[in-house]
Amino acid sequence: MTEGVDGGGRMVAELEDRAPVVVRSLTRRFGDLVAVDDLSFSLERGTITGFLGPNGAGKTTTLRLLLGLAEPTSGEALVFGRRYRDLEEPARRVGAVLESNDFHPGRSGRDHLRALALAAEIPAGRVEEVLELVELRADAPRRVRTYSLGMRQRLALAAALLGDPELLLLDEPANGLDPAGVHWLRRFLHRFAEQDRTVLVSSHMLAEAAQTVDEVVIIDRGRLVAIGSLNELTRDGRTLEDVFLGLTGAAS
Amino acid sequence: MRALLRSELLKQRSTRTTLGLFAAMVGLVLLAVLLHGFGLRAESLRDRHVQLMVLGRGEFLGVLFAALLGALSLTAEIRHGTIRPTLLFSPQRSRVVAAKVAVSMVIGTGFGLVAGAAAVAAGTAALRARGIDVQLDRRDDALLIFGAAAAAALWGAIGVGIGAVIRNHVPALIGICAWLLFVEGLLAGDVSGLGDIGRLLPGSAAAAISGQDPGTLLAPATGLTLLAAYAGVAAWAGALLTSRRDVP
Repeated sequence: MTEGVDGGGRMVAELEDRAPVVVRSLTRRFGDLVAVDDLSFSLERGTITGFLGPNGAGKTTTLRLLLGLAEPTSGEALVFGRRYRDLEEPARRVGAVLESNDFHPGRSGRDHLRALALAAEIPAGRVEEVLELVELRADAPRRVRTYSLGMRQRLALAAALLGDPELLLLDEPANGLDPAGVHWLRRFLHRFAEQDRTVLVSSHMLAEAAQTVDEVVIIDRGRLVAIGSLNELTRDGRTLEDVFLGLTGAAS
Repeated sequence: MRALLRSELLKQRSTRTTLGLFAAMVGLVLLAVLLHGFGLRAESLRDRHVQLMVLGRGEFLGVLFAALLGALSLTAEIRHGTIRPTLLFSPQRSRVVAAKVAVSMVIGTGFGLVAGAAAVAAGTAALRARGIDVQLDRRDDALLIFGAAAAAALWGAIGVGIGAVIRNHVPALIGICAWLLFVEGLLAGDVSGLGDIGRLLPGSAAAAISGQDPGTLLAPATGLTLLAAYAGVAAWAGALLTSRRDVP
C-alpha cells in the first residue's frame, strides 16, 4: 500500500498499519437517524480501551463498521490500517464478541467453533485450546440451547480467540457473567494487553470498566464526547460514573 | 474454497435440520405415492401419463425439500445470528454464498436420488400389488430417479439464492412452499391464460427433467438447461446482494 509513495507518506502509512484501530470522521446514517456522527479516535497497541456511551449512542454500530458488517456513509473505520475485509487473514488478527447471541441453539459449542475454525483454516487443536481457556471443555459436546448466558458469553469469547488475534473488539462481554466470570474476564484482558495486544471493550458497567480499562472513549448520540486515559479523566477525584453522567447529560 | 466447503458441510451435519428435512421428505414421498397408487381408480392408473405423474411425486418433493434446505442454509444463519461470525471468519461474502450453493447442490442431489428412488419403488410396488400393468420401462425409471436428483440439486441452489435475497426465515420458506405447491400450478394451469409460457416456469422445468407429462412439458434436456439458468441467476443474485447489503 506504500509503494511509490514518498518517505513521509510511507511513514504515515506505517504508523497507521501499526495502529490497531483508526476511526476517522466516521458517519453512518440510517434514514434520518445519524447513528454515528463524524466520529474519530484511534487505539494504541497494548491498551485496553473502554468504549462507553448510553444505549443507542452508536457503540455497536461503530464496532459493526470496524468489522465490515456495515458500510460507513462517510469516513473510515480501519483495523491495522485497512478495512476489515481487506485484511489477509482477518480472523488471525482481529477477534470480536458481538452483543447479540450468535449461535445456532441446536449446534454444540464445539461444532460451532469447529465450523469457524475450518472456514479460516485454523487447526482443530486450537478449538480444544480455546475451550480449555474459557473453561467450557466439559460442556463442549452439549447443544448451545442448554447453555447459560454466561456460558454463551464464554463461547463467544472462545470464538473470538480462535485465530489468536492481536486485537479484540468486545461488545458488552461481561453481560450475564457471574462475579467470578467478571473477575476472570478482567484478568484475562489484562494478560492479553500485557502481551502488547489491544482491546476495545464496550460496556454499560462503569464500575467494572473503571477496574479494567486504561483508556476511555465516551460517545453520545454518535458523537465523541470524551477521550483520554482513565487517570486523566478521573484526575479531579471524580469517579468514571460521575464523568460519564456529566458528559452524557444523564445526571439529572 | 475447500475450507469453506468443509465448514458448510459441518454446519449441515451438526444440527438436526438436515436429517429432519430428509425424514419428512421420505415420509411425504411414501405417503403421496401410496395414496395415489392405492387411492386412484384402476382404470386411470393404467394410463402411462398417470403412472408418470404418481411416480413423479418423488421429483416434486425432492425439489421442494432441497429448496427449503438451500434457503435454510442462509436464513437460519441470519435468524440465529451465526451469519456474523461466519462472515467475520470469511469476509469474502460471495465465496460464502458459493460454498452454500455447492453444499446445497450436493445434499440436494442426495435428496433427489432418495426421493426419486423411493417414489419409483413404492409406486411400482403399489401398481403390482393391484395387478395393474406397469407402463414404465427402465429408461423411464432412470429418468425419474436421476432427473429428480438433477432437479433437486438445481433447486437447492435456487433455494440459497431465495434465502439470500429474502433473508427473513418465514417469508423465504413460505414463499418457496407457496410457489411450488400453489402459485406455479395456478400460473401453468389453464386458468391463467399463460398457455405455453407456463412450462418455462422453474417448477415445471424441474418436472420436465424427470420426463413427466411429455406432451405438455419441455424435453428433459431442455428443462435441465433452463433450470440450470434459473439456478445460476438465483445464486448470482444471492451472492451480489449478500456482498452489497449490510449484514443484519
